[in-house]
Amino acid sequence: MQSSRKLLAAFLAPAALLYTVFLLTPVSFFLAFGVMRYDAIDLFQPVLTLANFGRIVLDPFYRSIILLTLKIAALTTVFALLVGYPVAYVLARGQSAWRGVLMFLVVAPLMTGEIVRTYGWIVMLGSEGLVNRFLIALHIIHTPLQLLNTQTAVVVALVHILLPFMIFPLISALASQDADLVKAADTLGAGRLRAFIEVTLPLSRTGIMIGSLLVFTLSAGAVVTPALLGGKAVQMLGQTIYDLVLHTLNWPLASACASILLVLQLCFVTIQIRANRRAPRPG
Amino acid sequence: MLPAQADLTNRDGMAFATGLPVRNASHTLRALPPILLRLFVALVYLFLLGPIAVIVATSFSPTHSMAFPPPGFSVRWYAEFLHSDNFTAAFRFSLVLGISAAIIATVIGFFTAYAAKRLMQRHGGVVQSLAMLPLLIPHLLISISLLLVLNFVPIPDFASLLAGHVLICTPFTVAGIIASLDGVDAQLEAAAMTLGASRLTALFEVVVPLVAPGVLSAFLFAFVVSFGDVYIALFLSGPGTTTLPIEIFSYVQWESSPVIAAITTVQIIMIVVLGLVIEKLVGLRRIMRV
Repeated sequence: MQSSRKLLAAFLAPAALLYTVFLLTPVSFFLAFGVMRYDAIDLFQPVLTLANFGRIVLDPFYRSIILLTLKIAALTTVFALLVGYPVAYVLARGQSAWRGVLMFLVVAPLMTGEIVRTYGWIVMLGSEGLVNRFLIALHIIHTPLQLLNTQTAVVVALVHILLPFMIFPLISALASQDADLVKAADTLGAGRLRAFIEVTLPLSRTGIMIGSLLVFTLSAGAVVTPALLGGKAVQMLGQTIYDLVLHTLNWPLASACASILLVLQLCFVTIQIRANRRAPRPG
Repeated sequence: MLPAQADLTNRDGMAFATGLPVRNASHTLRALPPILLRLFVALVYLFLLGPIAVIVATSFSPTHSMAFPPPGFSVRWYAEFLHSDNFTAAFRFSLVLGISAAIIATVIGFFTAYAAKRLMQRHGGVVQSLAMLPLLIPHLLISISLLLVLNFVPIPDFASLLAGHVLICTPFTVAGIIASLDGVDAQLEAAAMTLGASRLTALFEVVVPLVAPGVLSAFLFAFVVSFGDVYIALFLSGPGTTTLPIEIFSYVQWESSPVIAAITTVQIIMIVVLGLVIEKLVGLRRIMRV
């Protein structure tokens, strides 16, 4: 018993050390900066203040950034859910021989990383890109549309980039459901749509929750995609933190912004859990 | 109460009385939605893969224009990539960083996964959840925090970048190796220990060979995660420690040229090959199950 305890401690030590030294300590240290006074030379003065948070809440510039971040993250989450659900449904329920291939095609793009896929959208949405050429060929438009540097471009690319994070939790939730439940509803005359709305959908709530949480979190903190596809038209919280740290060197304000980002996530989690509790519980 | 059960009480009499006609009517109606559903899913796949296909096509453009479809075929942008010192250096650096980070994350992930799965009776699930922590904290925040530490503690740039990458890879190696351990009967180790092997001997001679494909897949996946990362490197890259995604990011901010398409195509091919290897070894989904 004694030796197995020692072994357990030895096996867990590397991860514990890694997470404590390089994750928890630095992140807490950085977040503590949010209540410190800004100093141009020493990064901060050891004086407690709420001025940084006050500035973010009161200054219309920062307020509009927070609202835009919420808007983009919410739109991305909703569209990822609408687009991802049918795919997850087919992948979880389908028995086709293509299932493995289709599954692979969802993960493979995810593995290429955000920069590669953002670049793909730069090429797609340019004035001579595929989308504009296609619309002109169909005579829907005559002059190229300005697609880059718009909020739409950022939302479209974020949905594309984060879609696998929505699809996988949904597949897990849908695959763990008893398929006989739908058959039972069908036998009882519920019809396909009704069986879906009253049986399948409520039972996949956990997947919807986890998927939305991941997509919301990742899109709210995005930097690279809004910077490259949104240009000056889309200033989100992530880019603001980036600029504050690398250009303005205002670490306390950057830290306060980061806290706001975490609070937004926390609110989102709370709303989701509340909604989950309030909904009628099946089974 | 199940919604389906509610249906039963509402109209079981009716459903049984008119059983046959109801089923026939729903059969004709039922043929329609699956076609629409498949069409929709096909469009989503087009959306998922379109931008990647467009990158590959653009990389063979003979001109400097980013127009699509490209006006011909050439490999000049691949030659350009090979002759550009910045990009080849960044590519090499990303390879070294990815392999180092993946090795460390796999070793740490293995010990953590084994401890959570085999050495703990009750709190294994807690350890597993805690291991996922780096996925829940925005990577941007991890990166800035490590940069801040650099301001106070003199550690080399490479070390902080490596630490950041090990952090973001570890959740995947832990999850992947736990999934592999699930497939190995714990009785096998017990049997080895009954026959006189120490726990460590049983671990290295019984468990390790059995989970080797899972461990290798975890390693490859960790490499891919590190290679594709922008957020950790965003703050921790410096002269001599610039990763490929950061080199591309800083280039694309100012200009656009098919040379980026050529570089990313090389990266896409590498990742697809690694993905296929993982798929063959254990299946990609088992690692993605985080």
